[in-house]
Amino acid sequence: MSWGRRWIFRGAGIALLVAGTAFARTQLPERPATESGDLFVPQPEVARLASLGYRNLVSDYYWLQALQVVGGSAQNPSAHAPLIGRLIDVVTTLDPWVDHPYRFAALWMTDSAESVRKADALLDRGIEHHPDEWRNFFYQGFNRFFYLDEDERAADSLEAATRLPGSPAYLPRLVAKLRAGEGGLDASAAMLEELVRESDDPYARAEYEKALDEIETERRARTLDAARDEFRRRHGRDIVRVEELAEGPDAVLESLPPELHGFEWVLSPEDGRIVSSWYGARYEPLFHASARTEREQMLRGGAAGSSRTESR
Amino acid sequence: MISIPAIGTLAANTMREAIRSKVLYTLLFFAVLLIGTGVLLSTLTYVEGERILQSVGLAAIRLFGAAIAIFIGIGLIHREVERRTIYTILSKPISRGEFLLGKYLGLVATIWLQVLVMGLAFAAVSLLAGAPLGIGHAQALGLAAIELAVVVAFSTLFSSFTTPMLAALFTTGLYALGHLSRDLRDLGSHSDVETVRLVASGLHRVLPDLESFNLTTQALHALPVPGSEVVFAGLYGVGYSAILLVLAVLIFERRDFK
Amino acid sequence: MSVSREEIVRVEGLVKEFRTGMGIRRKRALDGISFRVLEGEIFGFVGPNGAGKTTTLKILMGLIFATSGRASVLGHDVGETEFRRRVGFLPENPYFYEFLTGREILRFYAKLSGVAKPEIERRVETLLDWVGLAHAADARLRTYSKGMLQRVGIAQALVHDPSVVFLDEPMSGLDPIGRKEIRDLILRLHAEGKTVFMNTHILSDVELLCDRVAIIVKGAIRYEGRIEEFLGVDERSTDVVLSRVDPGLAAALEERFGAIGGRGELVEVRVAEKEVRELLDRALGAGANVVSVTPHRASLESIFLSAVAEAGARDRSPGR
Repeated sequence: MSWGRRWIFRGAGIALLVAGTAFARTQLPERPATESGDLFVPQPEVARLASLGYRNLVSDYYWLQALQVVGGSAQNPSAHAPLIGRLIDVVTTLDPWVDHPYRFAALWMTDSAESVRKADALLDRGIEHHPDEWRNFFYQGFNRFFYLDEDERAADSLEAATRLPGSPAYLPRLVAKLRAGEGGLDASAAMLEELVRESDDPYARAEYEKALDEIETERRARTLDAARDEFRRRHGRDIVRVEELAEGPDAVLESLPPELHGFEWVLSPEDGRIVSSWYGARYEPLFHASARTEREQMLRGGAAGSSRTESR
Repeated sequence: MISIPAIGTLAANTMREAIRSKVLYTLLFFAVLLIGTGVLLSTLTYVEGERILQSVGLAAIRLFGAAIAIFIGIGLIHREVERRTIYTILSKPISRGEFLLGKYLGLVATIWLQVLVMGLAFAAVSLLAGAPLGIGHAQALGLAAIELAVVVAFSTLFSSFTTPMLAALFTTGLYALGHLSRDLRDLGSHSDVETVRLVASGLHRVLPDLESFNLTTQALHALPVPGSEVVFAGLYGVGYSAILLVLAVLIFERRDFK
Repeated sequence: MSVSREEIVRVEGLVKEFRTGMGIRRKRALDGISFRVLEGEIFGFVGPNGAGKTTTLKILMGLIFATSGRASVLGHDVGETEFRRRVGFLPENPYFYEFLTGREILRFYAKLSGVAKPEIERRVETLLDWVGLAHAADARLRTYSKGMLQRVGIAQALVHDPSVVFLDEPMSGLDPIGRKEIRDLILRLHAEGKTVFMNTHILSDVELLCDRVAIIVKGAIRYEGRIEEFLGVDERSTDVVLSRVDPGLAAALEERFGAIGGRGELVEVRVAEKEVRELLDRALGAGANVVSVTPHRASLESIFLSAVAEAGARDRSPGR
């Protein structure tokens, strides 16, 4: 065989090999570890032992994984709350002096009361290592008030925050309100506004703004509830459409308050209450906004719901 | 009785060997690469990016320092015997202890030079990224250097009587155990069996407590470290290395170079 | 032969046992050897491979330790180090740091040997010149040939101007010109009054160079003494080579002079010097041609061979 031909054969062989390998590679399924459930999160104690003096590095690794869980899940980060909880537990066991991850957990672990309580315990660890950080107390107070409906314990946390440098001036009044059993929408709104202000995390800020919207929507829905009561009193009958409150001869309002998202006010087919067609249900403090969106999607079928959640 | 100039000559020559070998530059290249990777990783997070940058940097310095200490250390003595370069050296007015000490100090000096180079890369990257640099970082790097001196003492000890393969195994194992020795004691103390408790606490005393040289967390979070802690950690490291070297010399002095 | 000369090396009842296998069995490499080397002489330590030459030298250099017995150099026990300032050592097939250049390695050894700083450069240059490496002084040892490394080995053994030099197979790896140069170097050291201890199995070197020899076979010294004494032991003999020897003559010669050798047409007869005339008369008378008549000087070789054969016979004899 001539020199040239031998090289042609060799070249062809190598090309075939490369092509075959590349083809096999394209056939491999590729899922983010966090989506496929392949992400291995060790027990915190095991991780601490196995990291052999490189705790900070391993801690950071799992912290970046936790960020991937939130950033990588387009639909609904808090659906991954248990995973986030395990990750942040590892992160903060390996390096308890980290700062942000505690509040990260508080923000995203809101799919269930159980998750919120776990985040509460993580915040306790954060408070232990950063006793001068008012925000950890504040997040803890907010979660207790907003999701767990535990006003007294919320007040305890917020009161601790008031004594720390940098805490907002209105906090003592908020604490007093909670102690007096006057929490309600105003307290929620005040706290959320503070969270939007202090947050340096654009994702978190968006999440809190969503919650603020929800509270504003609830406030407007409550105005409509009052108008509905007035309508019943005046006309001795209930409305069939929400628009009746401001239209036609029987109107009790000059105009309907606008739905924040440009959607409309409807009567819920489930319980007949006035709801925003954006949310499909009334505000309930115990679960995270996005968890409710998910529940709504389940009830009403995917088509309408999916277009709404794209705002994430 | 110890000849300082002879030890100096041996140490300088050991440094020269390392500096002229490719292994060192390969490892140094990867270390600087990893320190640089910290910049990339730090962009993955929107908070505490500078801290992650420094966390990766400090880990890279410690990890590659240990890699150099083990990779070069395991052959430090064995290769001299195997290649018979030791024959002519010991025919000069050099005791075996001086030989061992010279080789050890040469490698430690080499690794400290590496730590210095990596530390400068770390400082440069930190400054560029606007991450804080303080006394804590200097303390962490200083004790990391002491830890590496202990690791080199281990690899020198093993290299003085066994093959590089086994020496690598032993040194790596002790490096791992050294970082676990506190946990070992804590785990043992929970045991109901008296013997287990005794063995665990005994091991904790005998094994090197390498975690005492690890101030990474303190440096990253600017936690205060009392100066006395740094001083005692330094003394502990120097003392522990000295004990290992004495052991190495005792073994080495009895060896036949067949 | 002066009796008042100082003992440079003194070895008494030296035994060395190596553990073999799992360390249970022991192999005796040196079986209680004793000898001494006197100041200013070239001492040949001669023996077949594996006889214990290198083992002895390693004990003298402190590289291995004797199981029992005593060895001293320059009046110091071999376990000490300080006296090595005055000792040079060339190991067999020496290895050096390949990352250094010829000049650097000699500087390194000069410093280790405690050569005074201002002296170092001068000594290094001198030695590079002596061993003929000046042209390659700045090349890394990695690029050196085996012969060049041998020269580096000799240079490092001499760089600190020692009073006694131990050479293990100094001619190994050298071409004929190199051997000649090293022989000249050894004679030069001798002329400077230095003591040279040389391990070798090349007998011609021993005959050319050594004042005294010790023959070691299987870990035991078989002979020790001056070269001239060895030469006196054997009667001088002469080799006569003949051609055109008929079978009758061959048989007669064999009967008269003992074993005869042959190479093709040629017949070789070894006779004592005084018998040469008788042999030549007989051969010429019987019509043979004389090819050569050579005086024979292989006394050392014959002693060496008989020593080895004797040791072998003792090994085979019962009771050992």
